Amino acid sequence: MGHAAMIGESAPAVGGPNDLDALLYPPEPLAYKPGRVREYTLTAVDGELEVAPGVYFPAWTYNGTAPGPVIRATEGDVLSVRFVNAGAHPHTIHFHGIHPANMDGVFEIVSPGGEFTYEFPARPAGMHLYHCHATPLKKHIHKGLYGAFIIDPREPRPPAQELVLVMNGFDTDGDGGNNFYTVNGRSFYYARYPIRVKRSQLVRVYLANLTEFDLVNSLHLHGDFFRYQPTGTSDYWEYTDTVMQCQGQRGVLEIEFANTGTFMFHAHQSEFTELGWMGYFEVVD
Amino acid sequence: MEAGSATLRTRLGWQLWALAPILLLALVVGLFVSSGSWLVDLIGRNPPPADEFDVRRVEFRPSEIRIRVRNPQPDDLTIAAVTVDDAIVPFTVDGPTTLGRLRSSTIVVPYDWVEDDPIAIGVTSSSGIQTTQEIAAAVETPTPTATGFLGYGIIGFLVGVVPVALGLLWLPSLRRADARWLSAFMALTAGLLTFLGVDALAEAFELQGTLPAALGGPGLVLLGVALSYLGMTFLSARLGRGTAATGVALALLVAIGIGVHNLGEGLAIGTSFAFGELQLGTFLIVGFMIHNVTEGLGIAAPAARERVSLALLAGLALVAGAPAIIGTWLGAYVTNDVLGVLFFAIAAGAALQVVAEVGRYVARQAPGGLLSGWAISGFLAGIVVMYVTGLLAG
Repeated sequence: MGHAAMIGESAPAVGGPNDLDALLYPPEPLAYKPGRVREYTLTAVDGELEVAPGVYFPAWTYNGTAPGPVIRATEGDVLSVRFVNAGAHPHTIHFHGIHPANMDGVFEIVSPGGEFTYEFPARPAGMHLYHCHATPLKKHIHKGLYGAFIIDPREPRPPAQELVLVMNGFDTDGDGGNNFYTVNGRSFYYARYPIRVKRSQLVRVYLANLTEFDLVNSLHLHGDFFRYQPTGTSDYWEYTDTVMQCQGQRGVLEIEFANTGTFMFHAHQSEFTELGWMGYFEVVD
Repeated sequence: MEAGSATLRTRLGWQLWALAPILLLALVVGLFVSSGSWLVDLIGRNPPPADEFDVRRVEFRPSEIRIRVRNPQPDDLTIAAVTVDDAIVPFTVDGPTTLGRLRSSTIVVPYDWVEDDPIAIGVTSSSGIQTTQEIAAAVETPTPTATGFLGYGIIGFLVGVVPVALGLLWLPSLRRADARWLSAFMALTAGLLTFLGVDALAEAFELQGTLPAALGGPGLVLLGVALSYLGMTFLSARLGRGTAATGVALALLVAIGIGVHNLGEGLAIGTSFAFGELQLGTFLIVGFMIHNVTEGLGIAAPAARERVSLALLAGLALVAGAPAIIGTWLGAYVTNDVLGVLFFAIAAGAALQVVAEVGRYVARQAPGGLLSGWAISGFLAGIVVMYVTGLLAG
């Protein structure tokens, strides 16, 4: 059986159809209202994640998943992120964005059992990310401490069906190379449970790369083209079907699907595709 | 009558007392096993198990790869994912998915593998540890077909029976040789058998090194060597009717020693061909033929002073050569690594026992005994000839 046949029941993916909804669908955007406080709580916990059927990875996570929850704010909001370290190692949260030096998640290491509240204005608008910045950095990231961080612009983006895809990998045997690749944490998950979208309706994907060990990761969409805005900040959009991101890079994709049917999306590194980073959009009327 | 029962009681007492340490050991072991993990708790934590599989055999069938894996560790090991050339593939398991200590299962992967290409098979445990087996070239694994069976049989015949039979034809020439030359040829036999013994011993240890530690270590080799050495000693005593074997009896012992070695040699050749590790070239077959022709000479030398029928000579050639045929079949179709170690160990023990046997013969019969220049030169010549012709088969 080839990989083209890996769809639905035949795809070796873990879990039920809606398990990853909290990671795939971001919180609703809120209208611009300067000074409003947005509160989140992230707890670092250690635990085993089933990243492929029957394969358990001893992960370090924010709130129990890798990637962690999607943090969302509107430009001008004040973010208040309470961080509780319930893990066995010292951790931090380092947000990408513009903020004071003492809110950078680098110097205020939070010991196990401790906590810290990060407070800073949400800016600039765009698609960002957060991750642990305790050392050894490579270990703290590949163990699973990262997530997507969306800042909406003052002028809201056009209404769309919004999705978040965080590309990552899992080095389950500790040899410094990934054994499994995923989006949102489970290999072949969207091959088993395709993401359903409507034809001709605007779909917006917030895409980030938090893959450790490998230089780059990428997304390639079959059967259609999308517009890509690097970091979600630029006024320049590329019209393409393939984007490449270095670790820490991210951006916003927008597309109105032209046809109905099942369209594959995957890393255009064939190796990553065949180690789990592959899924489908199911486009319906 | 009374004295008899007292003797019986003493004997029974001796045997009962012998059981006491064993019963006590069973009691202590039982108590320790049922007492939980207190000893580990005293020391600290146990390190995690390695969770690596022992890949025993990878077979390539049309559109299918079959991977035989074994759990070499005390803890259970679960097959969770399988990769071929770094790509996750669908698979089924013929046998249990979770393997207990030393248990095996066969993983069946539907896969269009590419003929002659190198290929890497990965088996991942539930703890995420991946065991990778690199295959130098994917070649279809032989299934027992009539023609294949015949082909492997012919290989065994060519490298085993033919050269030994040809070597036996030195017999008329040996008959005309004087006593000193004959003692040199007997010593040469001892030299070549020493070479074969060392060769088999090295093979046995090499194979044994690839086995999981739970399967016994070097003791397995020692067991095989001791088994065959003592077995051959027993046989030699029976053949020689109490005295040291001479003449045809000694020739038969040499033939058996060489035969067990050729079984191992055939096994190695069969396995290597079957798994694409060895190219079935004319050069290789010719190399083995030249290498083994000396073995015939070794069998002929002890029988040089006796009348030997043609049928007996043919029998000796079969005893020494035919095991190569059986070996290639076993190697090609039913490889078992433990059996492989034992075969080579048995070959080593048999060869070394026959060396002792021939040595005793030379010591008594040869002019000047073991320390004559003829015996020493012959022995060294045997080793040199085997080494040099062995280069052809390498």
